[in-house]
Amino acid sequence: MSTDHDTNEREYGLLAEFTNPGAVFHACEKVRDAGFTVWDSHTPFPVHGLDKAMGLKRSPLPWVVLVAGLTGASLAMLLQWWIGEVAYRMVISGKPLFAWQPSIPITFELGVLFAAFASVFGLLHLCRLPRHHHPLFSSTRFERVTDDRFFIAIESGDPKYDREQTRSFLASLGATAVEVIEDRDVD
Amino acid sequence: MASPTELLSGIAKPMPGYDPIGGRDQLVTDRADFASITSDVAGVIERKTTIGWWVTFMVSLGLLGILGLSVAYLVYNGTGVWGINSPIGWGWAIVNFVFWVGIGHAGTLISAVLFLFRQKWRTGINRFAEAMTIFAVMCALLFPTIHVGRIWLLHWVFPIPNQMSAWPNFRSPLLWDVFAVSIYGTTSILFWYVGLIPDLATMRDRAKTKIARMAYGIFALGWRGSNRHWQHYEVAYLLLAGLATPLVLSVHSIVSFDFAVSQLPGWHTTIFPPYFVAGAIFSGFAMVMNLVIIARWAFKLEHIFTMKHLDNMARVITLTGSMVGYAYAMEFFIAYYSGNPYESFAFVNRAFGPYAWAYWIMVSCNVISPQLFWFKKLRNNIAVLFIVSIFVNIGMWFERFVITVTSLHRDFLPASWDYYSPTIWDIGAFVGSFGLFGTMMCLFVRFLPLIAIAELKTVIPAADPHGAHGHGSDHAHSDHPHSDHPHSDHPHSDHAAVDQGHGGQGHSAPAIALQKATHEH
Amino acid sequence: MGGSHTKTWPSPADLTLPDSSGWNKVPLIGALIGVACIGAAAAMGWTSGRFAFAYLTAYMYWLSIALGGLFFVIIQFAARAGWSVLVRRVAENIAATMPLFAVLFIPILLNMDHLYHHWLHPDANDAVLAHKAGYLNKTFFLVRAALYFITWTGLALFFHRQSTRQDVDGDIRHTSKMQAMSYPAIALFGLSITFAAIDWVKSIDPHWFSTMWGVYYFAGAILGFFALFGLLTVMMTREGSDLFHGTVTTEHRHDIGKFTFGFVVFWTYIAFSQYFLIWYASLPEETVWFKHHLAGNWEAVGYVLIGGHFILPFLFLMSRHMKRNRTTYAMGAVWLLFMHWVDLYWNIMPMYVPHGAPADYHSHFALSPEDILTFVGVGGLFFATFAFLLRRQAIVPIRDPRLGESLRFENF
Repeated sequence: MSTDHDTNEREYGLLAEFTNPGAVFHACEKVRDAGFTVWDSHTPFPVHGLDKAMGLKRSPLPWVVLVAGLTGASLAMLLQWWIGEVAYRMVISGKPLFAWQPSIPITFELGVLFAAFASVFGLLHLCRLPRHHHPLFSSTRFERVTDDRFFIAIESGDPKYDREQTRSFLASLGATAVEVIEDRDVD
Repeated sequence: MASPTELLSGIAKPMPGYDPIGGRDQLVTDRADFASITSDVAGVIERKTTIGWWVTFMVSLGLLGILGLSVAYLVYNGTGVWGINSPIGWGWAIVNFVFWVGIGHAGTLISAVLFLFRQKWRTGINRFAEAMTIFAVMCALLFPTIHVGRIWLLHWVFPIPNQMSAWPNFRSPLLWDVFAVSIYGTTSILFWYVGLIPDLATMRDRAKTKIARMAYGIFALGWRGSNRHWQHYEVAYLLLAGLATPLVLSVHSIVSFDFAVSQLPGWHTTIFPPYFVAGAIFSGFAMVMNLVIIARWAFKLEHIFTMKHLDNMARVITLTGSMVGYAYAMEFFIAYYSGNPYESFAFVNRAFGPYAWAYWIMVSCNVISPQLFWFKKLRNNIAVLFIVSIFVNIGMWFERFVITVTSLHRDFLPASWDYYSPTIWDIGAFVGSFGLFGTMMCLFVRFLPLIAIAELKTVIPAADPHGAHGHGSDHAHSDHPHSDHPHSDHPHSDHAAVDQGHGGQGHSAPAIALQKATHEH
Repeated sequence: MGGSHTKTWPSPADLTLPDSSGWNKVPLIGALIGVACIGAAAAMGWTSGRFAFAYLTAYMYWLSIALGGLFFVIIQFAARAGWSVLVRRVAENIAATMPLFAVLFIPILLNMDHLYHHWLHPDANDAVLAHKAGYLNKTFFLVRAALYFITWTGLALFFHRQSTRQDVDGDIRHTSKMQAMSYPAIALFGLSITFAAIDWVKSIDPHWFSTMWGVYYFAGAILGFFALFGLLTVMMTREGSDLFHGTVTTEHRHDIGKFTFGFVVFWTYIAFSQYFLIWYASLPEETVWFKHHLAGNWEAVGYVLIGGHFILPFLFLMSRHMKRNRTTYAMGAVWLLFMHWVDLYWNIMPMYVPHGAPADYHSHFALSPEDILTFVGVGGLFFATFAFLLRRQAIVPIRDPRLGESLRFENF
């Protein structure tokens, strides 16, 4: 195990394992209250209220999506006006060259398309994904994060981080195991 | 005396997902735990491929071959090989198109609309239904694509600058279809994929072979269950559900515009948009019902796709079937009320003319057969559920046939009246489209988790961090939620039905083994 | 969770309207205002027929809200909803005002010659109306009206009675009964509201037809109900006089706000679909309706509806903050209630032709005192009945088995 590591080796931080959502929830509240900032919890599913227990702010994603949706809708209206009135003026079945009524369907559809792409790419950007290599993946224990185990990871970059103290702090929160994670990506 | 506030605060606060009346609780029977959910769902993929799967896959591939042949023959010869004539210029191609788009809508409804309404029973069937949506939209897109005849000029429907300086006609409902259906397909894939990311990570972490690990890993994008990610993820999922909801309504509304913006009696009527949407949900739910019944039997997932799911879907089928019946009745009533002889003729001809047989197939399948689900006994009988759902899909296909063909075959000019019969190439393309659908469905259940693993975990009692069950998996099996409630001694009829439905076979062997294993930890 | 076996249930008396509440005065004040306003409006506009049209607008408006309440209650049971239990009694009381509307239908019957003279006294050469006489005749009209009121009153009182009985005996079977009833109730409700809308509003212009009409009135009705429902939850949870003792939270209001938002979109979808299909097909027998309703300055009212009934509330209610803040939410609800009235006004009033008007009379938008007086008058009687019902039993369905779920309810 990691207790006999050299101090000059880079370490990512500490990983604490919990067996149920209640335990990780209360542990998160305590980690938050202890003033840690560079840390995260990892769970197989979104635990209800854990964002508040971690003290996270609301996601800004809705605003991004709103702007994207309005952009898409405006562009669609503009495109239909330009084709109808400017680029390809042709009277078909006695309809006006451009009218708002028949332009609504495509305006709506393109608004949704832009908004949907913004949701997905906005999500990926906010999560900094894809990221296929992460120090936490070096832990075998961590493989169960997508199954039935709950984790808290406090990074060594946290100002309050101290390997031994933080380790015993995490253990005191009911963690069933605490391990040191090395940062093999950074050389 | 206690104050009202105290009295109210003393009222028992039930477990999430638990319903004192019965009828809503016990989505996942067997008191599943996290590990058993993972292993049950992943087990479907990890187990050896069954003979049944191979048979289904081969039959589907065969049908897909028929599709390929029918399309190749059509493209080589032109649309004259179909049974269309003048005045019936729209035949099976549009019927099949509307049929498949409609099927797709239930998937979005289950995954998005029921999500917004916090109908937790959707969890469990949503992944499956979304997959169905995507494959149904693929089948749907096929028909308008091939019906243009000169398929190599298909790009003309998109506003692409070209040397002729020609642009598509944005006032045409058929162009709205191009946008609506392709955007619907795109958004459905995005929504489905976002839902899949955590489960792909699960598959990656369980993978035994390097190839599987790589394949799932690439698409899992390095997901690590971070709650800084979950937080955005949940918002993104909610937003996509919020976008997909009006989108699904708009798509079938726009499909209905194909007919309703015309001046043809039988096509032009203002109720068409919501009526088409209701019909789409109706047929889609019937298709989900059929597929779920097959999947729960084939993969032994009776404890995840519970009778409760089937019961709820049966209720939705009856509700939407009645809406469709309302629209049929309203069309007939207004045909009379309008005092317009052409309207009256179109509807009387529909019911009693040369296509009366199709009309009455439609009415009996769509309006009458789902009324069987008023009876609980029939709602809880797998055979009845399966057969009625097939009837509903037959009826909904005929609805589109009746709308398309009966409205066209009696032109305003009696000299051009005609009768439409499909050719073998019409039939080949339609039957073949089931091959495309079946092939995709087989590949899906073989390689991707057919149940949303991460989401399913959120609806079991142990997922609540504040509940008695959230504090340790040992508790999760010790007491039944009902014992906490003052009404626990009331007989729960719904509940009893669920339990009966399974007899003793609900526990799958891996689930029990894993439950034991987690207890010994 | 512990302790629930020994807990005492609140009795209905614990959660009734306190004597200090201002709602106690509403029955008397509302009835006085109602009678006075309707009386004044009738005196002013009886002969010209203005009263008839103004009254029909006000009647259809408040009726739509009561019907919306009934539909909400039905759906809560059909969907076995838990979140709404705390506030459901409010909707039950709104629905239970239905007998009032049966009584208030009398002025419409007395004014049928003004409102429905096109089909009551059709032109002898009018083949279309002769064709419709089997449906549009006075006897059948009255029979249908009676059927609607029997259906609505029966359903509203059934749900109200079952729910209030449960307050006393706590029997879970009341819930089961209401759940069982909710499914046929949906069908009965859907048919009755459709034909009522056709009979009472569409038949003013009896040549015109649209299969969407029933859904259009339904969409507006549900939206109007949700707007008032949201406003009432704000009014009834005011600090210092919170009738719900803090149990109805921002979360419940937020959910009502989401429904309101949803029905803003739904109304727009239905209204646009109806208008758009008629616009595109451009058949004279259908476009004639819009010719009347967009003539002169009525067109401006149409634009107000697009902006005020859709765009503004759509953007406003999209924001989570606007829905969760009491003040902004109440403002939005009041605005939507106003817009729902504009919608019905625009649907009914352009068909008004003053008695003895010249043949070339052109309808135009001009607000008259009768319009306001009938709106306030019928509203006064509606609130009087609502408050009267509010006093008679607990504010909350205190023994509803899903009350616990409603108490712990939180949004996403």
